[in-house]
Amino acid sequence: MNETVADGLFYLTASAYVAASVLFLRFLARGKGDVGALGPRLVALGAVLHAAHIVVASLVLHVCPVEGIHFPMSVASMSMCVAYLFARQRFNIEVAGAFVAPLALTSLFASRFVGAAEPSVRVKSAILPFHVTTNLFGVALFTLASSAAALYLIQEHLLKKKRIDGMFRRLPPLDVLDRAEHRLLLAGFPLLTIGIITGTLWARRVEMGSPSDVLRAVLGYVTWLVIAAVLFLRSAAGWRGRRAAYGTITGFGFAVVILVFYLLRSPAPGTVTAMYP
Amino acid sequence: MTLPIVVIGLSHKTAPVEVRERFASGTDVLPEILARLTARAEIDEAMFLSTCNRVEVVGLPKFTGSFEEATLSASHAIRDTLREHIGAPSVEELGSYLYERTGEHAVRHVFRVAASLESMVLGEPQILGQVKDAYDAAVAAGALRSHLSRCVSRAFTVAKRVRTETQLGAGTVSISSVAVDLAKRIFGDLRDRTVLLVGAGEMAEAAAKSLGQQAKGIRICNRSFERAANLATQFNATAAPIEQLESELVLSDVVVASTSSKTFVITRDLVKRVMKQRKGRTLFFIDIAVPRNVDPEIHERIDNAYVYDVDDLQHEVAENMKSRLQEVAAAEKIVEGEVLQWLQWARSRNVSPTIVALRAKTKGVLLAELERSLGSRLKHLGEADRAALVQMIESATNKLLHAPTTRLKQAAGESSGTDLVRAAQVLFELPSVPPPDLLQPTIPPPPEASPPPVIAAPGLPSPVVEESEERLSPP
Repeated sequence: MNETVADGLFYLTASAYVAASVLFLRFLARGKGDVGALGPRLVALGAVLHAAHIVVASLVLHVCPVEGIHFPMSVASMSMCVAYLFARQRFNIEVAGAFVAPLALTSLFASRFVGAAEPSVRVKSAILPFHVTTNLFGVALFTLASSAAALYLIQEHLLKKKRIDGMFRRLPPLDVLDRAEHRLLLAGFPLLTIGIITGTLWARRVEMGSPSDVLRAVLGYVTWLVIAAVLFLRSAAGWRGRRAAYGTITGFGFAVVILVFYLLRSPAPGTVTAMYP
Repeated sequence: MTLPIVVIGLSHKTAPVEVRERFASGTDVLPEILARLTARAEIDEAMFLSTCNRVEVVGLPKFTGSFEEATLSASHAIRDTLREHIGAPSVEELGSYLYERTGEHAVRHVFRVAASLESMVLGEPQILGQVKDAYDAAVAAGALRSHLSRCVSRAFTVAKRVRTETQLGAGTVSISSVAVDLAKRIFGDLRDRTVLLVGAGEMAEAAAKSLGQQAKGIRICNRSFERAANLATQFNATAAPIEQLESELVLSDVVVASTSSKTFVITRDLVKRVMKQRKGRTLFFIDIAVPRNVDPEIHERIDNAYVYDVDDLQHEVAENMKSRLQEVAAAEKIVEGEVLQWLQWARSRNVSPTIVALRAKTKGVLLAELERSLGSRLKHLGEADRAALVQMIESATNKLLHAPTTRLKQAAGESSGTDLVRAAQVLFELPSVPPPDLLQPTIPPPPEASPPPVIAAPGLPSPVVEESEERLSPP
């Protein structure tokens, strides 16, 4: 029964994200529809259903939502939606839903369907939930910052090409996007830093045997370094706008690769046996 | 029947900014250009209008024969003067950018320009001031004296009527305010942004008005510090001499350049240095000057710096135009009414000399007869009687000529006026006044406006001078 509820919530969440994605992308590409009210509401509905799904599914599977990679990834995408709902009014970036909704949808599906056939043996640690929690919130803000960066690059391209009608009018002002990206990055960076520190402490307790483990760790440090560099160069050398946006998206790219590594080496949720009964 | 006014010029519709800036002229060189125009044997009166989007010469040819000949000669002369003005080797080089209007259509064009029906931003108010400035300069230079002066003066009335009787200028949108709108699309809110005006002329003033209530602060940098200070006082802004341009750019976010400099005031190297000092903060240049003040390479080569010139604002302008297009019909109706009135005046002007000559001849004959009688048979009459006889002749002349004068005046607005004038000249052996060809109606209507139907005078040749909104090749 509970599994049916979890499945129902999953598909309802996916439907809300699909509807929001279609609405936002249609608006962004063709200027059709009014995303002002409906778009964020659909994202909010998706986030609520998503939260409900996480709770029910974790109870069904007897899995702590911050254990492993699948549930945290799901929590991260839900958190990203919540962060978007708060940030959209503060930074006037409603249209960032065009990135947030599809990313949340992708993340939702990945967290359920992508994974290794067999569970790997991991070491239990009190640091791990803390490490995962800080990382997932950090990644949520980082994803949002990357969405703003992507919108910035589109807007900047249109402005440089002097195509100031159509999509240019539908996107938030250029400087607003730059500022939003910077602030979201600033907010997410401490969380990612804690994630890196706790990850380092945790890694010392496990055997980093496989090359993918090493590569994942290296990519984790590279991601952190890229974001640190973006923030540092912005204040020290005036790396704003396009350069900062490219840096943010590059960092986000590394983070995505890490997540994919995690997903591919971790068992899919259906095969997980509870480590924290 | 109208005056053979000729308009030759180029605008944002026919020439890109790179071409327009070659023709553009500041007020300092206007007397020289006007002197060159009026020195031509083919041109009687002239006015030179130079704005960001338009450079044109309005000329009245000297009567050298037919309407066609006068117009053609003046057209050649104006084109040649424009060629000299920009130092082009041949007239052909300009041909594809120039438009030409003559006669009734030239008058309509002048009215439409003043009424802002031809402006890039429909209904923008600056153009009227610019036409007035051009008019004042031409009057001061002695280039406008009578008929063309009257035409341009009438254009002011037309513009005023359009502004007050229609909503064409409602919610005033000028290039400046369009630029402000674009700035808001880049920065979002301008309340925490500083605007720098480079130049302190009319366009800078308009920009200051548009930005005054929205920006955090306005700074004005001008070659003449005194002028910058005067403008700064009006808008509670900060003035700075042009030598401080670099430091002013560091402090500002939106830069509106509108100086009359012939070279780039803001160069790529300057902005490179500025962007380093600004630590990459976005800098938006609105270059509303023609010739351009800001090196366009800045836009291409420097990160976070954007340069938009007057042509780039076309897209925005088009949007604003949509809401004003509804008012165009009403404004054009006013213009057409005024053009008709002008034509009537112009036609009556051609009849008047005949009426005056007829009166003079009649009165002269009668007075000569009276004088002869007073010298012989009526020698005995006293002063009072003589005065009474003169008065009687005056009354007789009036009564005798009342009917023909009325007929001629009535016919002035019709095609039959030409025949009556000719008939009067032949019957009473009156001196020949304006060449008969001048009395022809002209030509097919321009595409952008629907002029009243023009009826060709019976027995007269078809319209002779072609004109259209299209680019014309040089004759």
